[in-house]
Amino acid sequence: MKTFVRVLVLSLVATGAFASSHYRDGVPTVHSKVSAMPVPICPPSDPNGCGLCQFNGCPPDGK
Amino acid sequence: MIALVNLLDLLEPALCLAVLVLLARSGQFRSYVFVGGFLATRCLSCALLLALVHPIWLHHLGLLWSIQKVYMFYFVVYWSSYAIEAALELGIIYNIYRLAMAPLEGLRELGMIVFRWAAAISLALAVAAGFGPHLTSSSFVVHAVSQLQQTQSVLTLSMLLFVCFTIKPLGLSYRSRMFGICLGLGVMAATDLVISGWMTVVGTKIVPLSFVSGLAACVGLATWSLYFAVPEPKRRLILLPTTSPFFRWNQISEVLNDDPGYVAIGEVTLDMFAPAEVEIMRRASAKM
Repeated sequence: MKTFVRVLVLSLVATGAFASSHYRDGVPTVHSKVSAMPVPICPPSDPNGCGLCQFNGCPPDGK
Repeated sequence: MIALVNLLDLLEPALCLAVLVLLARSGQFRSYVFVGGFLATRCLSCALLLALVHPIWLHHLGLLWSIQKVYMFYFVVYWSSYAIEAALELGIIYNIYRLAMAPLEGLRELGMIVFRWAAAISLALAVAAGFGPHLTSSSFVVHAVSQLQQTQSVLTLSMLLFVCFTIKPLGLSYRSRMFGICLGLGVMAATDLVISGWMTVVGTKIVPLSFVSGLAACVGLATWSLYFAVPEPKRRLILLPTTSPFFRWNQISEVLNDDPGYVAIGEVTLDMFAPAEVEIMRRASAKM
């Protein structure tokens, strides 16, 4: 139990450290909620609704 | 896979609600007030976001509002709730540290000063990160919240590592709720760091990314629900050897927190003292 938990914790920390060390230099990193919800990256005034319809389908009258 | 993502979309608020009920039933809501706040915010934001983008709702909502208006509301709800959640997660880590270090009061006070400074610097960095080239209000919010979340994820993993490897001297066990909360939050923090790196390469609109992210959220929340559902073992009596560095540093920190003594400098006349003080000094000098 003790070893399993310690290995799990170390692997989580190593994964996080490895991932953050691979961020591209000079490219601002955008973080999103840890959730299955779509990430709204486009400006709020985006005329296409940032592609919300792509996954979720739009109403048939095309509003 | 889209069906699975939609399922995770529904599972997440349900799990949040379940943990919230278990937390209330455990009678420890006051001890874990930030966890409660985080779950309530998450549950509410999930319900609102789901109402805006779920295929069935979007179809009905789309008959009333344009997709642009739906997206604008989605953007505001998503990023404002994300900022609140990131701040509450910082509060959770702070609270866990405070509870875990309760028996070693000197070290706790010292660590809390460091933690407050780290939190203040991370907030300042988050605001500074928002001021990039081509600044708009939306890009400011996105980059400031992202920076805050990145700092919070690193702090969470550091706290998880700390609690995991000092669990015995702190009198805790791997079945303690403090460790369980750190573990659940650690799963989400590690996923957050991986996902953000992944997003810079592939963009945000890919289904596997949503699936992994949703799965990690559900795993983290399921861990919390498990720890709140099972009775917590009592904290053990802490027995430290006198040579333990924890014991030594705690003693030093306690002394550091003591009020200092005061020394009068310059000319001191008798009328500056109270009559009782003068009498004590007279008797003391008579004994010499």
